[in-house]
Amino acid sequence: MSTVQISDDQKDALQEILNISMGQAANSLARLISCKITLSIPQISQTTPHEFSQLFEQGETMHYTRQSFLGDLKGEMLCLMDKSGCDAFAEAMDYSNPPSATELQELILDVSNVLAGACLLGMSKQLTLRNTLNPPMLFDPTLTDFSNLKWQSALLMEVDFVVERANFSSRVIICLEESSISELIDRIDKLLE
Amino acid sequence: MPLNVTIADDSAMSRKGIRRALPADWDVVIHEACNGKEALAAVDEGHADVLFLDLTMPEMDGFEVLTYLKNHHKKIVVIVISADIQPQAQALVYQLGAFRFLQKPLQAGQLHEVLHEMGLL
Repeated sequence: MSTVQISDDQKDALQEILNISMGQAANSLARLISCKITLSIPQISQTTPHEFSQLFEQGETMHYTRQSFLGDLKGEMLCLMDKSGCDAFAEAMDYSNPPSATELQELILDVSNVLAGACLLGMSKQLTLRNTLNPPMLFDPTLTDFSNLKWQSALLMEVDFVVERANFSSRVIICLEESSISELIDRIDKLLE
Repeated sequence: MPLNVTIADDSAMSRKGIRRALPADWDVVIHEACNGKEALAAVDEGHADVLFLDLTMPEMDGFEVLTYLKNHHKKIVVIVISADIQPQAQALVYQLGAFRFLQKPLQAGQLHEVLHEMGLL
């Protein structure tokens, strides 16, 4: 199990860093769709593979993407998007109505890449870290074996985006492998000095 | 008489950052608030001639604070300091009577400029 403990100050700092990153992510998305996006306060927690698998219990109502990142920090970004919201979103972005399966897939991947990319980039930039993000892939949690993950404990950072006008909501989750958590905490401590 | 200034932000790091960015020789008494409700309490106590206001906060967010101040005709200089940099958010903030919108991470130079411009320094 994890021995890395995060203090309240470190958590506060990380929350603020994510808040700034998600502001940038929302701004990118807002320009894409010309709608205002409501931001929430980022949530940070440590998780086990079992708790992690429970994130996907909303099953059928959501689209799921994942994309891994490498560099100073290693981990994975997950994006959960509610299906009905995606349809409304496609409409807002002038896709054909209803969008074809290919168009919908393109939209989901585009949106998750914009959100996850801005979140990760924003965080890396503020902490002077270098990371590269791989392209997102759609995945089906019912066909995914969560007992097979590379880590025993990971840091989970969740940010929610809501587009009220399009009834769209999305959650971006940054999972950090245990070995990267101490690197992240080091950088945060430098920032707090 | 020193001015009363309230920094309203849910993040301790961010409040510290704003404190540090204030001009060292500015004659003010600084108060802090962790959410919108505390910010309004500070306003009621006369602790906020100037209010530095975050937007994304628990309990009551910055938009709600601005709406309350506008509806109650409170004459307070509000400078919004937020990570929510969407054009729509900025437009709404100005519509609700904020004097200026500054982007996070806060640049001390920008803040000084605004304070100068408003004759607060």
